[in-house]
Amino acid sequence: MIGVKGLTKQYGDRTVLSEVSFDVAESEIVSIVGPSGCGKTTLLRCVAGLTVPSGGCVTIAGREVTEPPEGVGMVFQHFGLFPWKTVFGNIAYGLTVRGMSRRAIEPRVRELISLVGLEGFESAYPYQLSGGMQQRTGLARALAVEPRVLVMDEPFASLDAQTRDLLQLELLRIYQQRPTAMIFVTHSIDEAVLMGDRIVILNGHPSQVHDIVDVGIERPRERAVVDSERFRAVRDYLWTVVMTGGGTPAQPGEGRDSGHANEPNQPTSRKDAK
Amino acid sequence: MSATAPGHAGLRQTPAAPAGKASRGRRSALLAPVTAGVIIVLGWQLAASAFAPSYIARPLQTLREFPAVLGDGQFLSATASTLLAVLEGLVIAVLAGTAIGLVMGRMRGIDRLLRLYVDSFYAMPLVALVPLLTVWFGYTPAARLAVVVIEAALPIVYSVAEGGRHLDSSYIDVTRAYRAPWWRVWTGVALPASMPYLLGGIDLAVGRALIGAVVVEFIAGLNGLGYYILFHVRSFQQDKAMVAVCVLVVFALVLRRAVGAAVRRGLPWYQGT
Repeated sequence: MIGVKGLTKQYGDRTVLSEVSFDVAESEIVSIVGPSGCGKTTLLRCVAGLTVPSGGCVTIAGREVTEPPEGVGMVFQHFGLFPWKTVFGNIAYGLTVRGMSRRAIEPRVRELISLVGLEGFESAYPYQLSGGMQQRTGLARALAVEPRVLVMDEPFASLDAQTRDLLQLELLRIYQQRPTAMIFVTHSIDEAVLMGDRIVILNGHPSQVHDIVDVGIERPRERAVVDSERFRAVRDYLWTVVMTGGGTPAQPGEGRDSGHANEPNQPTSRKDAK
Repeated sequence: MSATAPGHAGLRQTPAAPAGKASRGRRSALLAPVTAGVIIVLGWQLAASAFAPSYIARPLQTLREFPAVLGDGQFLSATASTLLAVLEGLVIAVLAGTAIGLVMGRMRGIDRLLRLYVDSFYAMPLVALVPLLTVWFGYTPAARLAVVVIEAALPIVYSVAEGGRHLDSSYIDVTRAYRAPWWRVWTGVALPASMPYLLGGIDLAVGRALIGAVVVEFIAGLNGLGYYILFHVRSFQQDKAMVAVCVLVVFALVLRRAVGAAVRRGLPWYQGT
């Protein structure tokens, strides 16, 4: 569904991303992790069409992305809700700007309000909502446009730990109901493993794909998954790589173009590498 | 509709103050300004009685003149003339000023063209231009309207342009990510986002509009509160003039409070940030 090929981005003399390549299959969740400032957000913006790459390209459903394409729903770290619109108005935004009639919008938005658990708050303004509720609104807004791809830029980073845990599970639940290709940038290694089917690790100056790890945990995922051996193994591997810059990257020919997992001493990957 | 939704941390609401405390609070809030008012008025009365010639206005005489002046047809027509001109000018200034301000705030090229002039005219004492404008427009209500519009429009243009320049880039990201057409960015995002700045501009505009109207009336002798004041001061009826001054003060206060109330009603989301 999403193809990133040789993506490179420069700002003047500074190269932020260099030859980043990976794929995201239909209904697959790919997490992107890496140290702070490594260009994860830049990468995401290129995928969403908000930033134009300096080199390489992004394709969604086979079409090259040069500007924000149809069928992409974006969720922002700081929610990005319009303070002057109600919850209903914000969720409906993607549909309103398409010129959809109020009659057509209403049932869709109401269904989404139910889905994200905001019944009763249709007429509330963002200032009246907690952070978790605001991000639920942001998520509903992204889902309203019936996206083929969900692009999420550290969606839970602005929330307190408890709300964050809660919304992670909420998102997993929603994903079970509406599987969508997702690209999910996060600072939290635990979150990356919990949410993702595969994890792209960015590293270096300029950032490159250090490795792509197959999480290999079945869905649906519950909170208990966090205690499984597999989870811990993947997390520990990621920690080593991201925090200390250690760990062996995939052999040339693996990992980068084929997305083969670098297995941290576990039996072979459950999912076929792409 | 249930009051609680699953898995949320609760609506943020300001708790209502208990009833008795609120009314006591209001009373004590009035106490200070009323006390200050009494002291000022007393001081004025004593100073004027002791040192000033008889034609200088005194508070007690002014109070006595109130019923006569407020019932005077000439005064009422002067009041209507000034206040209508100010309101008309403010409406025009808000509409034109917001449009110009938004364009300046969102379009760099136009901003560069106009900014110097807006800043200069905003900073200067515009009343210096009044003699010129009364020559161009004649000693007519048109001159007064023109001055009111210019005086009021400038702070509005200035404030709205500031708002436009500081539009949160994340809003623009949202409009782009959801593929909003360009005109929706102006009406649906730039305009509402600049409302708080617009209100700041209107607050300033009210005072400046009144000044402009009164000054033109002084110079051009137009029927209005300004002229009424001038006439009565020069004919040694200062107490009557003071009544007119009080009416101007009240009007300014009421207008600003009205704008504030309209904000709270029309823009419930605006939290004074």
